[in-house]
Amino acid sequence: MAHVVLKDLVKSYGSFKAVNDVSLTVNDGEFVALVGPSGCGKTTTLNLVAGLVPITSGDIVIGDRVVNDLDPKDRDIAMVFQNYALYPQKSVYKNLAFPLQMRKLPRDEIDKKVKEAARVLDMTHLLERKPRELSGGQQQRVALGRALVRDPAVFLMDEPLSNLDAKLRVQMRSEIKRFHQDLKATIIYVTHDQLEAVTMADKMAVMNGGYLQQYDSPAQVFAHPVNMFVASFIGSPAMSLIPLQASTANGNAVLSSAEGWSFELSPRNARKVARATTRKVVLGARHSTIKLRNSAVPGAIPAKAYTVEPTGDVTFVQAFLSGAIVNISVPPNIAVAPDEQIWLEFDQERMHLFDGETEMALTAN
Amino acid sequence: MSTTAETAPRSLSRRRMRVDGWRWTGRIFLAFMLLYTAVPMIWMLITSIKSGFAALQFPPQWWPDEPTLASYEKLLDPQNSVGQDFLRFFWNSLFVSTVTTILSVIVAVPAAYAFSRFSFPGRNFLFFAVLLRNMFPAVIFLVPLFILMRLLGLMNTHGSLILTYLTFGLPLAIWLLKGFYDNIPVQLEQAARIDGATRFQAFILIVMPLSTPGIIATAIYSFIGAWNEYIYAYTFLTKNDQLTLPVGIQRFFSENTTDFPGLMAASFMMSVPVVVLFLVLQRYFVRALTEGAVKH
Repeated sequence: MAHVVLKDLVKSYGSFKAVNDVSLTVNDGEFVALVGPSGCGKTTTLNLVAGLVPITSGDIVIGDRVVNDLDPKDRDIAMVFQNYALYPQKSVYKNLAFPLQMRKLPRDEIDKKVKEAARVLDMTHLLERKPRELSGGQQQRVALGRALVRDPAVFLMDEPLSNLDAKLRVQMRSEIKRFHQDLKATIIYVTHDQLEAVTMADKMAVMNGGYLQQYDSPAQVFAHPVNMFVASFIGSPAMSLIPLQASTANGNAVLSSAEGWSFELSPRNARKVARATTRKVVLGARHSTIKLRNSAVPGAIPAKAYTVEPTGDVTFVQAFLSGAIVNISVPPNIAVAPDEQIWLEFDQERMHLFDGETEMALTAN
Repeated sequence: MSTTAETAPRSLSRRRMRVDGWRWTGRIFLAFMLLYTAVPMIWMLITSIKSGFAALQFPPQWWPDEPTLASYEKLLDPQNSVGQDFLRFFWNSLFVSTVTTILSVIVAVPAAYAFSRFSFPGRNFLFFAVLLRNMFPAVIFLVPLFILMRLLGLMNTHGSLILTYLTFGLPLAIWLLKGFYDNIPVQLEQAARIDGATRFQAFILIVMPLSTPGIIATAIYSFIGAWNEYIYAYTFLTKNDQLTLPVGIQRFFSENTTDFPGLMAASFMMSVPVVVLFLVLQRYFVRALTEGAVKH
């Protein structure tokens, strides 16, 4: 296994920059998820690391080698593709043996390794089949097997689960996680599904528009998103982002809405708001931090329920506030009907505040 | 309730009638097409086993009174001059068509792959330039190519024909094969390259086996094109011992009084290689045509 370093990585196609000054370090044995919406540059970044696409500038280090100009075959990597990319004319056995044959291993050693990988992935009985005779989950497993049969320095995975159905996806998710724990493998994993990233990765790199937005542990990214994009992308339902105006009333910092309501900020939040570049401030609140009241209480903000979605153990309520959608989760025993008047209470300790102009998170110190 | 119960069977039967109407129209049309293509072939076959006199009778003998294989024996007999000529023409055609086919596959495979996979300056322009050639009728190029071949000193050689057939066959072959490569996911090659193959190995070991049906289809196209070509062979070749079958048959038999059974027997034997090719390779051929059309 090995660590991977990306340094000021740039990939441009003509004037379009698909990957923009991305720098990050993946430590030995770490599981890193590259996550972001489609077109954010995450797959391009992975292809740059794999060597399938030439870099425009910057450096890629795998282990202790700069691999910028090395062919994919010389980078000591293995890759799992979204569409599995199994060789359709070869049996499962030959698919697994191919990387070993290419490295000119003796035949008995190839046989040993292929059978070992098949045993680990519980597909010894499938070895003679062709890929088209396998189910989606089995194909996925073969693709994984072909990657691990060679014991590479780094595993690259490009949305390996997105072609599976929901149930299988959850199952394979824990299998890949288990595989990472057992092998202590260095894994770079691309996904557009923030849930996959949060559940599997040691660290996640959130990308948007070719830029790396935030690179940290899932817990940190979730608790302290650096900007409004990360805040809204990580977490489901998405964090509510409500545009407000900062002002002072009776010597206290106040956030007020164009709808007429306002509330006073705690001293810590007041310090944050003081650092904003303009008066425009965006309030961010996760669904679980907003309290829903059926009657007016001091400090609660009036709103109308728009949709109510019971999911069984929790009910999601959507409301509009200052023109923004607000997601609230409530216990199932609280009865709310659409178009009903409700009151919302924000938790000063757990709310996020963003600069309305730069969209960056405001911090107290 | 009652209304649905009443209308359901009626609308069902009406729909079935309409479907049947279309189906029968289709069947009649197909039967007509079958007759249209098959009857001349059958007539060719029947005439070829008649005697020379019987072939000219009117009203015609629908089935010859005395079927004979004499025409075939004459054509395939290396001892007499007719047989010698026929066999030489046959060999010439086979040689020209086979070399054309091999060359066009050798050139078309890498060309189509490059058009499909690489982006290079002028790619689209080149690709349409390749197709431009096929927008003009072949006859337009007859005189220019004749002059060119004379300048190159290729008159009266099979090389002139092979070169000419390549200019016709290659654009189509490249076009057909490009569609094929477009449908082979690029990730397969990427996987192979990560698994330790060079770009060339990925092409040879992974892409080539997958494109076999396409290559076979391309080869059949080239072969048939070259095998049946008449006007260039007629113009470029004047020496009797170099003629290809289409020209040879026509010249040979119209010199004397026309021997219709002999002509038909020769025509039949000329169609044999094409039919055999089709029968043996049709599995790939059909797959090739559909595979290029449907993206999955």
